[in-house]
Amino acid sequence: MKPLDRPNKWFTVLLFLLPSLIGFLIFVFIPTITVIGLAFTNYSGGFNISYVGLDNFIQALTNSTFQKALSNTIWFTLATVFFQLLLGFIFAVILNGKLIGRTFFRAVIFLPVILSNIAVSLIFVLIFHPSKGPLNNFLLSMGLPAVPWLTSPSTALLTIIIVTLWQSFGYYMILFLSGLQSISPELYEAGEIDGANAFQRLIHITVPMLSPTTFLCVIMAIINSFKVFDQIFAMTGGQLGGGPAGSTTVLVFDIYQRAFTNYEMGYASAESLILLLIVLLITIIQYRGQHKWVTYE
Amino acid sequence: MDPQENGTLTEVGLSESPRTDWVKIVSKIMIYLVLGLASFFILLPLLIMLSASFKNEMEIFDYPIHLIPRQFTLANFNKLFFDSFGKINMNSFPMYIFNSVKITTIIMVIQLFTSSTAAYAFSKLKWKGRDVLFLIYVSSIMIPVQITIIPQFIMVRNLGLYNTHLALILLGSFTAFGTFLIKQYFMTIPDSLLEAARIDGANELYIYSKIMMPLSKSVLAVQVIFSFRYFWNDFFVPMIYLSDARLKTIPLGMADFVTENFVYYGPQMAACMISIIPVVIIFLFTQKYFVEGIASGSIKG
Repeated sequence: MKPLDRPNKWFTVLLFLLPSLIGFLIFVFIPTITVIGLAFTNYSGGFNISYVGLDNFIQALTNSTFQKALSNTIWFTLATVFFQLLLGFIFAVILNGKLIGRTFFRAVIFLPVILSNIAVSLIFVLIFHPSKGPLNNFLLSMGLPAVPWLTSPSTALLTIIIVTLWQSFGYYMILFLSGLQSISPELYEAGEIDGANAFQRLIHITVPMLSPTTFLCVIMAIINSFKVFDQIFAMTGGQLGGGPAGSTTVLVFDIYQRAFTNYEMGYASAESLILLLIVLLITIIQYRGQHKWVTYE
Repeated sequence: MDPQENGTLTEVGLSESPRTDWVKIVSKIMIYLVLGLASFFILLPLLIMLSASFKNEMEIFDYPIHLIPRQFTLANFNKLFFDSFGKINMNSFPMYIFNSVKITTIIMVIQLFTSSTAAYAFSKLKWKGRDVLFLIYVSSIMIPVQITIIPQFIMVRNLGLYNTHLALILLGSFTAFGTFLIKQYFMTIPDSLLEAARIDGANELYIYSKIMMPLSKSVLAVQVIFSFRYFWNDFFVPMIYLSDARLKTIPLGMADFVTENFVYYGPQMAACMISIIPVVIIFLFTQKYFVEGIASGSIKG
């Protein structure tokens, strides 16, 4: 491509760029920078603001609410990322083969991905109802004990993990499917000639050839897990929620409550900054580590 | 690129074992069993919702579940649409539906415009700092909205836009994902085509609107469908910026059920139906674009 050599080059560039650049600068870039500054203040939404040094960070790292939110986030992320990828991979492999009704099964598994998180949450609140819900009724009819699901600190987060998996593994299935289709069929033919059975071909051809897709899926799944908010809001109590004994309060939910229920905006910004650093760290580790396990053709 | 259309796929073993026939048959049965179970677990909650929205409150929790209502009723929908005097309730779902349609449509159009012009600047114009800015754009996909929401909220409030639809529309005007998506597609259109037009005296605006856009209909469709799905379902951002009942969108209306003192499940399920039906209908007709949109995320930039 030749550089534009007309005098109005920058005018043209800005003409095309500005419509999105304005939104980006005002609502994404500047806020990301500003949150760093806010994290060192005691801002509470009014007119008063003063510098408080590292107080917010010290407060965050030493209080149990934050630690609880951090550990909830980590557990939630580990569980959802692992099972989303596992289920996504299994169903992609199955549905990549020739099957009657393949299009139907793909559509069904993908369907929950496009639904509103709030609607899905309301449906599962009904299903998981501790005393009247169809699921507990089913368990009782099988002679099993009823499970408290969303109403007990020991099972609430697990229940939200189950609902999140239900709703989202189809997304990773589609990603894996598109990855599978980019693997050359000749590799499988070669494997077959060499006497590799179906399972060996899966382990020695599919898995390594799929590693760039897996890498992408891991990053996306981690980031999406950090963002989980709607389900927690809708299934465990709304604005004042966060589950029994804070058992479903994840970082983003704590940030929301601190900033918009308690108006501790300075403190919430410090929490945001910690989260931002975690996201950044994970991305960097992933990118630096990828050459160890990702195979590019 | 579209997995649906591709008939001659790489068979990933499982069903093509060269061994005896019964191994084949057993593995086929297993596969259909797994797929049947998965479909059952995915569809059952949706069927429960569908049937509950037409049941009266007493019947919803009947066990064993019967999916066909014994007493078919529209009362749950009436409760969402009409007030106690039988008049259309403008502080409830009729208004929420209108607001959702309005906001989603406006943002869809704006995003189509901003993301395609930016994609043009990033793929077909050459300027200093282009690749760096693009990298910054794309990395913003990684940042959860809750991280930027506090300064963003202060900014919106200071602009006097708190509790307005305009706030949501302006916030929705930028899409890093859409820019990325369309830019990837624009790059596949050969520059020679543009050069020829430039030599003929066409300016960039003409090339963008009369050459690039018509050639990119399929990716633009993907972008429109994605922004529809996103903003139709979006909850967090509208919740932060809207407080008036008359301004609420459907997800906000649904979330109000969560904090009600007396929980009625029938109207909740009816509201879920209202939220889900348009997305499902669009999905059934445009499945291939949904799949393409997600799959194109895996193209290495």
